Amino acid sequence: MKRILFVVSLAASIATAADDPKQRQDLTAVIALNGKPCGEVVSYVVQADNDYVATCKDGNRYRVHVKDGRVIVEKQ
Amino acid sequence: MDHRATDRHQSLKLAFAILLLAAGCKVVPPPAPPPPTPPPEPERREAAPTPAPTSAPTAPPKAAPAAPPKSTAVVPAPAAPRAAAPALDLRSLEQRLKETNAIGVLTKLSLKNQVDDLVAQFRAFHDGRQPPTLTELRRPYELLLMKVLSLLQDSDPALAKEINASREAIWSVLSDRNKLSQFL
Repeated sequence: MKRILFVVSLAASIATAADDPKQRQDLTAVIALNGKPCGEVVSYVVQADNDYVATCKDGNRYRVHVKDGRVIVEKQ
Repeated sequence: MDHRATDRHQSLKLAFAILLLAAGCKVVPPPAPPPPTPPPEPERREAAPTPAPTSAPTAPPKAAPAAPPKSTAVVPAPAAPRAAAPALDLRSLEQRLKETNAIGVLTKLSLKNQVDDLVAQFRAFHDGRQPPTLTELRRPYELLLMKVLSLLQDSDPALAKEINASREAIWSVLSDRNKLSQFL
């Protein structure tokens, strides 16, 4: 029972982390810094460490990840 | 009658002597007040030359007493700011930029990538590869600085202000081969 509660609470914490407004703001800034059209990131999915797929207000989707110390923004 | 006359005469003498003493006592204080008055006089003398060159002959008497103390207080004040000239501490700015919470981690990394790219362009310029001239490099430099400032100005305005104030100093480091090599 305790394990189930732990897993549920962990899942809940991950879900809230995926909707962190600071992270959305960070992704919005990164996409804008790389000169890609977006407007504002409305949601994102965490794929791995420093690897996100961000959905923009204008419908664009970008994969934002770090490779060899560089931030890469790829249109999906 | 003679006694009365002599008595009156003596009493008059006494009264006169008292009056003289009293007058003498009164005479003593007057010298005391003058000392306070002399100080304003030198002030007026100091103030007089300053308003004289100006074109307001009627106002000087009133403005003069207040002006000298201000001028004496103001004279040392400019010396201090001149001594404390803004010294650029790039290392400190860099550290503050790393530590600020105004920018997210990915944004910081992305900014660092762009700074590194720009510095590489400057190094290429200093090595003699000239397609991007110094004048051409000014635009990407300004653009990058604007990006940094726009990211900071709302959440960390103090750092934004300091970076903006260091704009020319940073440029002087980037555009000077020796300064840049010292910093890197």
